[in-house]
Amino acid sequence: MNLADSLREELATKTVFSVFGIPVDESTVVTWVVMAVIVLLCFVLTRNLKVEHIGKRQAAVELAVTKLDDLFRGLLGEKGKDYIPYLITVLLYLAFANISNVFGFKPPTKSMNVTVSLALMSILLVQAAGIRAKGVVGWLRSFTKPMAIVTPFNILDLFTRPLSLCMRLFGNILGSFVIMKILEFVVPVVIPAAFSLYFDFFDGLLQAYVFVFLTSMYIKEAIGAEE
Amino acid sequence: MTGTLIAIGAGLATLCCLGAGIGIGIATGHAAEAIARQPEAAGKINSTLILGCALAEATAIYGFVIALLILFVL
Repeated sequence: MNLADSLREELATKTVFSVFGIPVDESTVVTWVVMAVIVLLCFVLTRNLKVEHIGKRQAAVELAVTKLDDLFRGLLGEKGKDYIPYLITVLLYLAFANISNVFGFKPPTKSMNVTVSLALMSILLVQAAGIRAKGVVGWLRSFTKPMAIVTPFNILDLFTRPLSLCMRLFGNILGSFVIMKILEFVVPVVIPAAFSLYFDFFDGLLQAYVFVFLTSMYIKEAIGAEE
Repeated sequence: MTGTLIAIGAGLATLCCLGAGIGIGIATGHAAEAIARQPEAAGKINSTLILGCALAEATAIYGFVIALLILFVL
């Protein structure tokens, strides 16, 4: 089998099974696996939490949660603290999804359906946050800021932002996936492991961070100080 | 013949990477300079750098997606 054929086969999103004629994609199944892992982790890590005399496990979990919370609090400011749980959830999901390639799954974010829905969720949340912070009139008026002449560009932003969010995630994960597949095809042993550190872990985690970072930037802008 | 032209087109689309590479290089260079000048502002500089890199990198990603579309859809 030559390189092009094997690549084409790896790139195709396969339908695993159908329920009442609705096809269930591979990315959906891997998402279920990721969900199961995260739920299991949450379940295991939050057993027997105590107020005093905490164990090592609880200390580590508390440290991680506080760090993540502080990170987003710094990005969003005190006004945006209601949106932190959503952002951490997306970050965890993306982090697990992007490195799932290491464990032999096809990363779900390699499928454009997943990234499009994530980007749509983000932009809906951003607009909802804007409406919640400023009211409907204030939200509509925010399109004319800072000058009336930029209104068309602000409206265009509604479409280009989710587009670039979804394309960035999709392209990065697909790109690193393709490069890893080519490497594994050319040199099957040792070398892919070294590159996997960069392409799977560094790039995957960085893209997860960039996605929520940009979302929090948009939220901060949407709820930003009025005048 | 058509296959060759498609391959050339896809190759040309990846030229997008050039701009992104130069852009990220310049941004990182200046960020290093800024941190050297004011190490206490490293956190803020880093987050600005990541934002800028993410936006600059998007152009390379568009080129890549277009190249893939050319290869697999045409």
